[in-house]
Amino acid sequence: MYRNIFKYDDMKRSEHMAVRENVGWYLFTHQLMQVEGDDAEAFLDYVFPNNIATLKPGRDRYTTMLDENGEIIDDVVVMRFDDHFWISTLFPSYMDDWFYAHQGDFDVDYYEVSDDWHMFAVQGPLSKDVLNGICAEPVDGLRFFQHSENSIDGMDVIINRGGFTGEKLGYEVYCAESDTDAVEEKIREACDKAGGRQVTEFQVMAWTLPTEAGFYYMRDLRHANPFEVGLAANINWDKDFVGKAALEKVREAGPAREMLGFTVADDDPFIQAKQYGGPGEAVYLDGEEIGRVSKMVYSYVKDINCGYILADAGKLKVGDTIDIHGSEAVICERNWLA
Amino acid sequence: MTKKIDQRLPKDSGATKLPNYAAIKSPWERMYGFRDAMRYITRYEAVFGAAILQGIRILIPEYEDRAQTICQAAFDRMYATSQKYGVTQEYLLNMHPFMCGEFVGALIGDEGDDGMLMPGRVQDFGTYRCEKELDACPWDIIGSELCRATTMSLQSQARGSAERHRQGPTLDYAMVEARGCGDRHCRIVAENREKYPMPEHALWQSFGPIATADQIKCTPEEECVEDPMVFREECGFKFANGTNLEESSEMAAMVQFATSACLYFFPTLTRAIDEGRLEEKTVMHVLKCVLEAAGKAAFGEPYARLAAREWLGVPVEAPWDGRIMGGHIEMMLQALMCSYEVEAFNKDEVILVIDRKGLEISNGWMQTPCHVAYWNGMVKTLVSPQWFVFEEGSAEKTIRVCIAKKIDKFC
Repeated sequence: MYRNIFKYDDMKRSEHMAVRENVGWYLFTHQLMQVEGDDAEAFLDYVFPNNIATLKPGRDRYTTMLDENGEIIDDVVVMRFDDHFWISTLFPSYMDDWFYAHQGDFDVDYYEVSDDWHMFAVQGPLSKDVLNGICAEPVDGLRFFQHSENSIDGMDVIINRGGFTGEKLGYEVYCAESDTDAVEEKIREACDKAGGRQVTEFQVMAWTLPTEAGFYYMRDLRHANPFEVGLAANINWDKDFVGKAALEKVREAGPAREMLGFTVADDDPFIQAKQYGGPGEAVYLDGEEIGRVSKMVYSYVKDINCGYILADAGKLKVGDTIDIHGSEAVICERNWLA
Repeated sequence: MTKKIDQRLPKDSGATKLPNYAAIKSPWERMYGFRDAMRYITRYEAVFGAAILQGIRILIPEYEDRAQTICQAAFDRMYATSQKYGVTQEYLLNMHPFMCGEFVGALIGDEGDDGMLMPGRVQDFGTYRCEKELDACPWDIIGSELCRATTMSLQSQARGSAERHRQGPTLDYAMVEARGCGDRHCRIVAENREKYPMPEHALWQSFGPIATADQIKCTPEEECVEDPMVFREECGFKFANGTNLEESSEMAAMVQFATSACLYFFPTLTRAIDEGRLEEKTVMHVLKCVLEAAGKAAFGEPYARLAAREWLGVPVEAPWDGRIMGGHIEMMLQALMCSYEVEAFNKDEVILVIDRKGLEISNGWMQTPCHVAYWNGMVKTLVSPQWFVFEEGSAEKTIRVCIAKKIDKFC
């Protein structure tokens, strides 16, 4: 009876493919934590394992935030401005507590500015042209994870090159809360003119687009460490950071689990995934449970069901086939845009 | 009457040796773990709620009128709750600013289900469609009107949450399957009517049909679960939703303390009284009649009496007297986390002084007379018709419940 909620949904497909083939835009406001003070740089360099001290004003950096066990609490983008930082997070409740717990003698102040700013994602091959058409200054010079001040129709905005879609060209437009309607209208007009469309479906902006690019969202990372999910490459081991001692042990022993991609060719697979909450479908190999399904969505680019499995390390390799709740799944890399 | 308290170990007996043993304990030291206590109280409250609903069925005989009245009260009550506590809830549930529309309401319902021991799974969570499936529901004996009303409480919280974000698509929440109506599962499907058009309907008609029946993901019987995540090993004994909220089993206790099925009913009756549709005297008369009968039915069969003694750990040689009823009430109060003091506990009488706030969840003033009527019915069959449960000497903050022999020619 079950009919795939992704595969046959033309609305989801068209919103998704607008980003891949043209330009898609959507309100994608995350919570923002502003961090300032004399020790802001040193503090953030301590609470995040990746290098924040080397981050230059106008640039961004992706990093995890770990607990003392080396498990990921959150993954964030740190944006550096001349005299403060912004941290784009989905868990300000965790972050606020965590900062407080580790503030110690650092001369640092942090507070949410989420109510003051909205952010529109403008993503896809034509995104640069769209923004060049409405911004006072061209955005051509922006490199990936670089941001600059600009204006749209006289309204101050911050344009950040980056996004959660895996597109080579994608931007985030930050505007004051009071300008949101007007900025939205400008973006809508420009995208419509370019043949793009608004992305309105949460599942597209949070699940299908990022998953195709191998990105993580929320529960994918919960209770995993950076080695298990492939986010350890940019950790700065030469500095002290929260969770370092535990993570060093993982580095020595090797991760116990690994995040793998999988595809399922069945039209309507009946597979539970952690993205909806709960434990996720158990994955068995020779009768032994070796992992759980973290995510199960649909790649509209490859036209196939795809997802992630957090499995015991070394039990599965790319190309293996396994049975997941009656469907044959093929293990693959976590990237369906390559 | 001597007000004597027979020898019984103190409530905290063993606490220093078993500091983490979360249990309820009968006067005869029969202990139950936290899970059993929560399962017990949810069902106890459900049976109590079922009796209340029977009273409402007498008071408002037409199904449509009754269901609409209960649904409207549920919608208004939970919308007001959302206005009051929604911001905190949103913060804890990790609802993000970009989550525009009424679909975020599904997050609230999902968390509440687990706390109310209604295990299942989210099958879809999107801007235009959500689906939640429950395998078990302690409230499945109460009546279909409640199934409709719980759907409306979800609808109202969804609306309240959505209003705090930039405008987004609305959703029409429908309980397309309900254990309370005989279905294997409870299933809520919420659809956006622009994407999935269907005829408009009144609040009480929240059972569907829906436009996306072909997208329903129905878990087969053999894969259904009995316990919520907080009591399941595969979940690490934690509730975890899709937005990374994690909660331990303590959540279940908090939910039991804050809600029960009858909270859908008492406000309905209060409103009907305030609006002049019903008379308070008639309402209380009907409720007391129904509850006393329900209480008598609880232990009408001889095996039910014996099972109650076994549940309470009453020694075989102990006589049938009011202490058994007292112990029964104590177990319920403990599971409800309602504090009480034992003023008397002997073969002639039991007196319990109960914290009013703990028993009357959300200030429901009708609850105490209803509970007392229910217990008074129970004691007739559990102990004997010579015994009565009645309220005497209550104060503003406490309810003084007496269990003693009496003669009442009008009972």
